[in-house]
Amino acid sequence: MTLLDTLPPGLLLILGAIALLLLPATARKAGAIALAALGFFAILQLDAGERLSPSFLGYDLTLLRVDATSKAFGYIFTLCAAAAFVFSWHEKRRAENTAALVYVGSALGVVFAGDMITWYVCWELMAIASTFLILARKTEKSLKAAQRYILVHLAGGLILLTGILLTIHQTGSIAFNAFPKDAIGSWFILVGILINAAAVPFSSWLPDAYPESTVMGGVILSAYTTKTAVYTLIRGFPGWEILVAVGCVMAIYGIIYALLENDMRRILAYSIINQVGFMVCGVGIGTELAIAGVVAHAFCHIIYKALLWMSAGAVLFRTGKSKCTELGGLYKTMPLTMILGTIGALSISGVPLTSGFVSKTLIVAAAEHQHYLWAWLVLEIASAGVFLHAGIKFPYFVFFNVDRGLRPKEAPKPMLIGMSLLAFLCICIGCHPAPLYDILPNSGAVESTTFSAIYVKHFANVVAMFQMLAFSALAFFVFLPWLKRTPTISIDFDWFYRKGAKLFYAAMDRSLNGLNQAADRCVIKTFLPALARFALQAPAVLTAVVLKPVWRAIDPDETRLAKRRDDLMTRFTTGTFPVAYSAACILIILTLLILIGRANA
Amino acid sequence: MSEPQKPFVPDQPTVSRKFWIALWLTCGVSVLLELFVHRHEHFAEIDSALASATNGFGFYFVLGFLACSGAILLAKGLGLFLKARENYYDDTP
Repeated sequence: MTLLDTLPPGLLLILGAIALLLLPATARKAGAIALAALGFFAILQLDAGERLSPSFLGYDLTLLRVDATSKAFGYIFTLCAAAAFVFSWHEKRRAENTAALVYVGSALGVVFAGDMITWYVCWELMAIASTFLILARKTEKSLKAAQRYILVHLAGGLILLTGILLTIHQTGSIAFNAFPKDAIGSWFILVGILINAAAVPFSSWLPDAYPESTVMGGVILSAYTTKTAVYTLIRGFPGWEILVAVGCVMAIYGIIYALLENDMRRILAYSIINQVGFMVCGVGIGTELAIAGVVAHAFCHIIYKALLWMSAGAVLFRTGKSKCTELGGLYKTMPLTMILGTIGALSISGVPLTSGFVSKTLIVAAAEHQHYLWAWLVLEIASAGVFLHAGIKFPYFVFFNVDRGLRPKEAPKPMLIGMSLLAFLCICIGCHPAPLYDILPNSGAVESTTFSAIYVKHFANVVAMFQMLAFSALAFFVFLPWLKRTPTISIDFDWFYRKGAKLFYAAMDRSLNGLNQAADRCVIKTFLPALARFALQAPAVLTAVVLKPVWRAIDPDETRLAKRRDDLMTRFTTGTFPVAYSAACILIILTLLILIGRANA
Repeated sequence: MSEPQKPFVPDQPTVSRKFWIALWLTCGVSVLLELFVHRHEHFAEIDSALASATNGFGFYFVLGFLACSGAILLAKGLGLFLKARENYYDDTP
């Protein structure tokens, strides 16, 4: 294990991704699974502490900071990657596997980074690698979505960089620890992270981009960007009360938009925002129990969310459709996908005996212990709402509802195996959460860890959850006619840069080009020719006025007078005067100057 | 479809009726169960009507139903403003 001790797990995956490029398809796919598994075991072996400190620009980096939090995220990142690679065994494209491995590797880089420079580099690498998972769909829509995605993330990255530079300038240290509230740099960093966490109003990039990714891309994307953001919030901003409010808004926003959506993968994308809202709220509460709850919830969320994206991906793979208005009745020919997807749907809803129940309750309990009454209430409401949109709406409209005559084959075996692995984990953690609780930071803060303590001793909690879910289901079916899907999209905050930018462009086009045209009309076409005419004719007219009495005295005939005048004008406009005229003028001017000089003396 | 269709069980009206009976029964059982358990008291330190309501009988099923109905109504209302045709962003402004 000496190599694994000296190589950060993230770098292992990134270097592995490059090496795999040289292999034929089957070996490459097997290699990707093996790399993810190797990463998992490497993380398992890591001892706590800070290691690997190369020098960079006069600063000592920390490539490997190992503690319970980073290890817990490391485990789930590699585990989810392994399941996703099994799921996507059918995938033949080289770019997708490589991009996924680099993306997972850079996410691991963020998780194990002990300094802000390593963190920032991995953060940006993550944005770039993930863009390829959207581009790989190779449709015009995905190309445009990928462009918007990378622009949002580069903007977020620049805000983060500003914050990091300000912080380094102020403190002189690159250490990545809890940030002080009274420093402006901390707030820039917070905004940079919240953009990646898809916090409202920086949220719309997620439901815009993820549903346009490939089948495998959706599974992979659902896990890493938002969860590394949650991880960095845990490191940098525990107990910042503003995050309680941000999390609550995210939780409700995700539900409302998921209810409005027609595309099944977009429903799941909004559901990510809702779930990350729980985690952001937990970080804001910031107690030991809350942080343990956030890590547990991130862990469980990655599993059931990847499972949901897998089941949606399997449906997309088999039918080529992802809109609820085009899907329905699939339980007939895809029963296993339906069952496995429903396990994911029940887990995200926090149904007792599934993983969501044992993780979400920790955050809700932490809110209660800290007397956040309103936040607690919002989280409970959001728990009911999750069941509504992800727990029932997703499986109902995809697998039941109306039979649209679709008879696709069941998902391929590798997809079913990948989904089964995660479905097993959902139920296993739900029934036996002790191993999960053991790897959490502040694991001592979690009181009930055994099956009997959770489900027997605290049976009242189970009944409360059971009631809430049963009546949520009742509300769903009572209001079902109102939930009828329409072939529409929902206008979100991306309106401001998709439609708003076009309108801004049009407005600027009208106003600036209008100004340009007006200036052209007034200055170029009117004023300057007038000035030119004036410059040309004024001396001629002036001279004619001066010479007129002289000409009249010499020859009073009006016809010849007019001819003399025209002749003078022509000479002025063409600039053709006999040398004698010029000499005479110079003589007159010199005489005048001498006279003036004499007068002054 | 050339293959003979299997009967689509949940589509049948009798099944739909059974489904509704099962749903109401589940809700009924969940309410009845509360009679036999003792919930620990929430927010005992906070003196407000909302805090004490969280400990009242049936708080969770009322919350579940109201929250979901409210979310559906809110989504329906917001849908009037927020829903747009699918090619909305493809058009020039």
